Amino acid sequence: MTRKRTRSGIPLKDFYTAEDLSGFDSERRLGAPGEYPYTRGRRRQAEGGWMQRELSGEGDPARSNAQLQYLLSQGQIGLDVIGDSPTMAFLDPDHPMASHAVGTQGVSLCCLEDYRVLYRDLPLDSIVVSGSLPPAIAVAGLYLVARERGISPDQLRGSVIQAPFYAEDCGYAIHMPFRLRLRMACDCIAFCAREMPRFHSFVEDTYFFSEAGLNGVDEIALGMIEIRHVVKELLKRNVPIDSFAPRIAILVNCGMDFFEEIAKIRATRRLFARMMREEFGARDRRSWSVVITSHTSGLSLTAEQPVNNIVRGTIQSLALVLAGVQALEISAFDEAYRTPSPESHRVALRTQQIVYLESNVSKVVDPLAGSYYVESLTDEMERRIRERVREIESMGDPAELAEKGWFRRFFEQAMAEYAAAVAAGTLPKVGHNMFRISEEEDTLLKEIVEGKIEPCRERIGAIRRYKETRNVESVRLALDALRKRAEEERENIMPYVIEAFRAGATMGEIGGMLRLAYGWPYDPHGLVECPF
Amino acid sequence: MKKIKVYIGTLGLDQHELGALAVARMLRDAGMEVVYGGRFNLPAAIVKTCLEEDVDVIGVSCHSWEHLFYVPEILELLRQRGVTIPVVVGGSVITPGDRRKLVEMGAAQAFGPGATEREIVESIRAIASGRDRT
Repeated sequence: MTRKRTRSGIPLKDFYTAEDLSGFDSERRLGAPGEYPYTRGRRRQAEGGWMQRELSGEGDPARSNAQLQYLLSQGQIGLDVIGDSPTMAFLDPDHPMASHAVGTQGVSLCCLEDYRVLYRDLPLDSIVVSGSLPPAIAVAGLYLVARERGISPDQLRGSVIQAPFYAEDCGYAIHMPFRLRLRMACDCIAFCAREMPRFHSFVEDTYFFSEAGLNGVDEIALGMIEIRHVVKELLKRNVPIDSFAPRIAILVNCGMDFFEEIAKIRATRRLFARMMREEFGARDRRSWSVVITSHTSGLSLTAEQPVNNIVRGTIQSLALVLAGVQALEISAFDEAYRTPSPESHRVALRTQQIVYLESNVSKVVDPLAGSYYVESLTDEMERRIRERVREIESMGDPAELAEKGWFRRFFEQAMAEYAAAVAAGTLPKVGHNMFRISEEEDTLLKEIVEGKIEPCRERIGAIRRYKETRNVESVRLALDALRKRAEEERENIMPYVIEAFRAGATMGEIGGMLRLAYGWPYDPHGLVECPF
Repeated sequence: MKKIKVYIGTLGLDQHELGALAVARMLRDAGMEVVYGGRFNLPAAIVKTCLEEDVDVIGVSCHSWEHLFYVPEILELLRQRGVTIPVVVGGSVITPGDRRKLVEMGAAQAFGPGATEREIVESIRAIASGRDRT
């Protein structure tokens, strides 16, 4: 009797044989790469590899612009910009909660001028600009800057994350009611389907919430629940499925369970294809084949012996490449302590380049197809994810579950279980819960992890001055219009968000007005009065 | 014997709560009473809660280096009110260098990522009982 299991709890045998795949219909379960049900990936060709990038953004927009220019000069193909914690929380840098956090864990962005500086001299018509930023504002910023430069928005490529379900519970709380969060996501996706059709306006980010310690089955199950709900909502508004489904992507996590992670991604593609085709009746083949983008797990890294994290990133990125992802970011080796340093960024990018250019692993599409083990595991992951989705959806409308805090408790439980497994050593973490060395011996790369990005406090005064010197009257008019449209719940509010941003309103003010429209306080922390 | 009462909360806009929840659980398991402040706390609110609840130890965490700014603010507010409640800081981003700095600033203890459950529980118990003697 074996007790071996994957991270999701799937029992494992010593080896797998043809019997494990008896009755396996490879036509129906796999197809060829680039064919339904897309288990084997969305394309037939392996050329071109994947989008290599590293999460970036620090300090003020000018400093981040320099960082982005540097990463592009080093061979990075796309950009992924993350906001600092105030930006992610929909707050301006002059909010009292923001004071020590401006620019330390990402870039501080709150008004149109910030986006102009962030994108200065970047070829927006030829690069891919992804944002781990509040999506409505990131789209407004990119759209307006492109138009100012004479670039048609329908040429823009990139992506934003939509997380109406779980953001509030797990890492990216913006203190808005569920109904408003869902509406903003749908309005943004519908707007982009019309105005920015090449832009992936719906990245389902299963990465951030699975970093609460979720296993792969729960990660994808929760992602599928959110996708299904948002899609249904868009269909209710008569947005045609094939106008937006080709631009859905899933941003998955990749932890250390090598084969399970590969199986998870293959199962995800199959589940998505069947949902789009069979359940939602999508006709466009591109609607069936989801784009998979990926991050290696920050949670899997250790603060002890940080050099070992380079090995973890390598193993995880290899799994992702074998699974056939479209974009990949490696959590930097110093991430356990700090916002990535230039040194760790470079190592992460070099890791990807070595895997891509030296190892030859990416020359053939889906190289593990047909493996007794991998196909068994893929089938089992699919079955368990489907089962988990059914189980959760049978408890009630997911929107109600979200409003009642059910998911919040789910994440808390996962966090507690993860912490307990690490503490007990049942989840091995080399250097942390086994094979520890003394602090005196643990010196390699430690000088890098001690480095810190100072809060960019001058931004606070600069934004205060900006608010006084802009045309306050036109800001007021635009914000009033936004609030009115938001209250009515009829029209798409994206054009009004964009107009307010263009008129000089800040992100914090737009967020405050939207909260007021939904009967919530302007400032969720009760520290700032509505200035309008 | 009176139960040891500990406040646990995270500072500022940091939304990483895994560590705070784990510490709250281990302290409860060890028989202590935990006042869980959750996320989004500024020093003034923490000090107010801790005085109202009459806690023995204030435990704060932050998944970024904001703790280096917030901890002195908490200590200063306590000083202004003329109370001495030991402040303990935890967080997986606390480097050995930060730990030294935090203790120099007046934190009773700082736990980095290598701290074990036993170290945390025993240290908080010792700090709380040290306070009783004063």
